[in-house]
Amino acid sequence: MFLGEMYEGIKHIFKRTFTMKYPYQKLLLPKGFRGRHLLYMDKCTGCGICAWICPERCISMVPVTNDKEYPQNPEKRFPQYWYARCCFCHFCTDYCPTGALDYTPDYELAEYDRDLLLWSPERLSRPTTHIGEYQSVIHDNQGVTYEPVPKTK
Amino acid sequence: MSQKSTSREETIIEKAKSRFPEYIKETKIDNNRRVTISFDKDHVQEIAKWMRDDIGFDHLKGIAGVDYPTHKKLEVLYLAGSFSKPEIQDIIVTLKAELPKDAPTISSVVSIWESAHFHEREAFEMFGINFEGHPDLRKLLTLDNWDGPPPMLKDIKFPEMGQR
Amino acid sequence: MTANPPTPTIASNEAKEPSTMDVSVGPQHPGSGHVRLLMRVDGDYIVSIDPDIGYVHRGCEKIAEYRNYVSNIPHLERPCIIDAIHLNWAYVLPVEELQGVIVPPRGQYISTIAAEMNRIMSHLYWLAINAGVFSGHTTIFMWAFGDRDLFIELAEWLTGARLTYSFLPPGGPRRDFPSGFEQKLAKLLDYFEKRLVEYDRMFLSNPLVVARAKGIGVLKKKDAIKLGVTGPVLRGSGVEYDVRKVEPYGAYADLEFQIPTFKEGDSYSRYLVRFEEMKQSISIIRQALNKMPKGPIARKAPLVAPEGEAIGRVESSRGEITVMVIGDNSDKPYRVKIMNGSFRNLIALPYLIRNVHVADMPIIYGSLDYWPVEADR
Repeated sequence: MFLGEMYEGIKHIFKRTFTMKYPYQKLLLPKGFRGRHLLYMDKCTGCGICAWICPERCISMVPVTNDKEYPQNPEKRFPQYWYARCCFCHFCTDYCPTGALDYTPDYELAEYDRDLLLWSPERLSRPTTHIGEYQSVIHDNQGVTYEPVPKTK
Repeated sequence: MSQKSTSREETIIEKAKSRFPEYIKETKIDNNRRVTISFDKDHVQEIAKWMRDDIGFDHLKGIAGVDYPTHKKLEVLYLAGSFSKPEIQDIIVTLKAELPKDAPTISSVVSIWESAHFHEREAFEMFGINFEGHPDLRKLLTLDNWDGPPPMLKDIKFPEMGQR
Repeated sequence: MTANPPTPTIASNEAKEPSTMDVSVGPQHPGSGHVRLLMRVDGDYIVSIDPDIGYVHRGCEKIAEYRNYVSNIPHLERPCIIDAIHLNWAYVLPVEELQGVIVPPRGQYISTIAAEMNRIMSHLYWLAINAGVFSGHTTIFMWAFGDRDLFIELAEWLTGARLTYSFLPPGGPRRDFPSGFEQKLAKLLDYFEKRLVEYDRMFLSNPLVVARAKGIGVLKKKDAIKLGVTGPVLRGSGVEYDVRKVEPYGAYADLEFQIPTFKEGDSYSRYLVRFEEMKQSISIIRQALNKMPKGPIARKAPLVAPEGEAIGRVESSRGEITVMVIGDNSDKPYRVKIMNGSFRNLIALPYLIRNVHVADMPIIYGSLDYWPVEADR
């Protein structure tokens, strides 16, 4: 009667489990993953194309007051991002004419305070902090598991 | 001298013009497979019935309303296609009717194309077009107690979303 | 707005029988989006049903008039987010026709492969929720979601995001295949083909599923044509119509595939149509990987579109999506009208759910694969 289904079900008891124990095990993300943005302040000219193309209008150009000099940006206008609205489409990164924006694999951006979601240009230029070490591996006839990525020497 | 062969789209337009000479206002063929026929709004049921029975466009893909405030008119576009006749399956015929802004009323085509039921309800609530003869014309997508103006008209503006 | 909303009733023309009762199914989120169905029930039989939709209506078409053509892409792909490439492609086809941009062949092949992967992902979601959980089969829910995650990881490697791709601006795709992508995709397809055999044994040949779905919700061929339904609902009723064969776009003109059609018209044949479509998608992706041309992937598109109207259509996993774009010589569209599969199939819901048992309602609703967010926009 239900022999086909029971055979399939019992066969799966002996296969491996497809579970990743987040947050102790984190996924290794590919190179162009669309997480938060990284701003290179020595390349940005303050043209504002990123603010124009943004579908959610979450980028605004603000003046930055610090001691450094930026020869390509005499007025010192840099983008600030409001991550409460960002949809992570990264059209800003693709349309930037000088390549001043980049991808990072940071996706853990939650905060307790809503005002902290407004990222200033200096905060955007800090490098990424995400470390991912696991990836999914298909075994023939044994199912799928998450295994640590082999370290290349 | 060789005859210039007429394409399928031109054949449809010629048949429509010879059958309804006084109701059809203008016709257009865009990039082949897209035919546009503008007609007089009072005879929509006759033209729709002829399209379905004689040419073979047996269903409606959608009914779109467009608002032109500068010309003070509303346009209703019926997009018709054919499932049952393989030789015209890739043609979409757009039937256009113009309605004056202050009296947007047109007969319903639900008795001819039953697929128009929900499309006409949506055009009614979004543009304020009254389809006479529709069995159940009430609001579909907006709130139950919305009594404001029809939302898709160009008079309703959202200045906080930027310039338009 | 008035203070209290009026009490909703079923607007049917026949008078209410004294033995019937109005039951409100919802407003609830059956795995896909917020919807409400007003049922009129007489004992265990449903007399009539009235879909009360609009809970997820956002005014998509109105907002689309305030954004430029490229910024509209993340906005207009959100209605059916599990099938985002098809909605994106359906919007971009008329824009490219207005602007006169032609995508190079390698870009067409990349878009086709991404679209077929998305079709497999969307059908796996349908299998898990609409066919599995609605009939109580939670094993297939776990299996289908697990396999779908492998496809999502590959799509994340190609585009950068798991579901919200925004991959096809006017002119062609945004990125090329990363190195090693084609080998990993071929390995995943081999694994998935074996899994489809297991799904068949666990779900399609299951006597419980056959008993619940065979003969339920029969839509005959002439009714399907008259109601104007589309997608697997149409092909499950015997009409052989698929936009990929009727009006080929992308790379479909060079690839060989079949259109599964079944003539019974019941819920079980709609299940079979989607299963067979997954197998055809595997074959399409393999052929496209073998035939990939070399060259550029995209061309630069202008920022404005001239005046005029253009209509473009694609075959998504729920049916045919037809988009009409009216341009007015500026960088924002004048009018965008979207006619998608879920909204066109909505008329089948009150037509099929008449004089059936209450327990048949989730089966018929699931076999239509109605996605409320896409229908409401």
